[in-house]
Amino acid sequence: MNQLSPPESGYESRVRTRVIQLFRWCGVWAGTCALMAFGPKFLWNKGLVFTLLAIGLNVCVGVRTIVANKRYLEELDDLQRKVHLNSLAITVGVAMIVGVPYSVMASYRLIPFHADVSHLVLLMALTYGASNLYGTWRYR
Amino acid sequence: MEIPLKNRLKVLRAERDWTQAQLADALNVSRQTINAIETGKFDPSLPLAFRAARLFGLRIEEIFHDQDPCNLQP
Repeated sequence: MNQLSPPESGYESRVRTRVIQLFRWCGVWAGTCALMAFGPKFLWNKGLVFTLLAIGLNVCVGVRTIVANKRYLEELDDLQRKVHLNSLAITVGVAMIVGVPYSVMASYRLIPFHADVSHLVLLMALTYGASNLYGTWRYR
Repeated sequence: MEIPLKNRLKVLRAERDWTQAQLADALNVSRQTINAIETGKFDPSLPLAFRAARLFGLRIEEIFHDQDPCNLQP
């Protein structure tokens, strides 16, 4: 039998490391989002300086999360990158196609509830997750 | 129009008695990628094709070839 020597650092373990880093940064970012949203009301009585600091912290951590996501994507192999690229394309398309009519409907009060940007974020997250699962299943 | 590649990856791997996971490790990709290439669902990038050629000690065209009828040898 022709033996293959495994590389020093396997693909799976490197991707796993990047995923863990990305999850950590996403968690920190979600924490700063919560701080930014609820801090002014519950922690510092709407003090302007602290609110601005919380916003600044959120943006800084957000940038770091984007970098972590970029590094994760760079670590992926050709196929996984293709799956993610397809997912991103579908997500951006759905966000545009649903977001614009949703905004118009909200401005003419054609929807019975308050339109919030979080609805769009949720839609994008669900679309990205679903299209990623589909891509993984398709090439399984 | 995208012309799918045919490849001998599965045959070459079987000749050496390697698993998909072993080949994936050696080529620094996921096992899913090896499976997708072997089943013709996914065409590898040029760097990956070069790595495969180096690993098997063959030229790229000895592993991968397109199915375009214009390129068939007479």
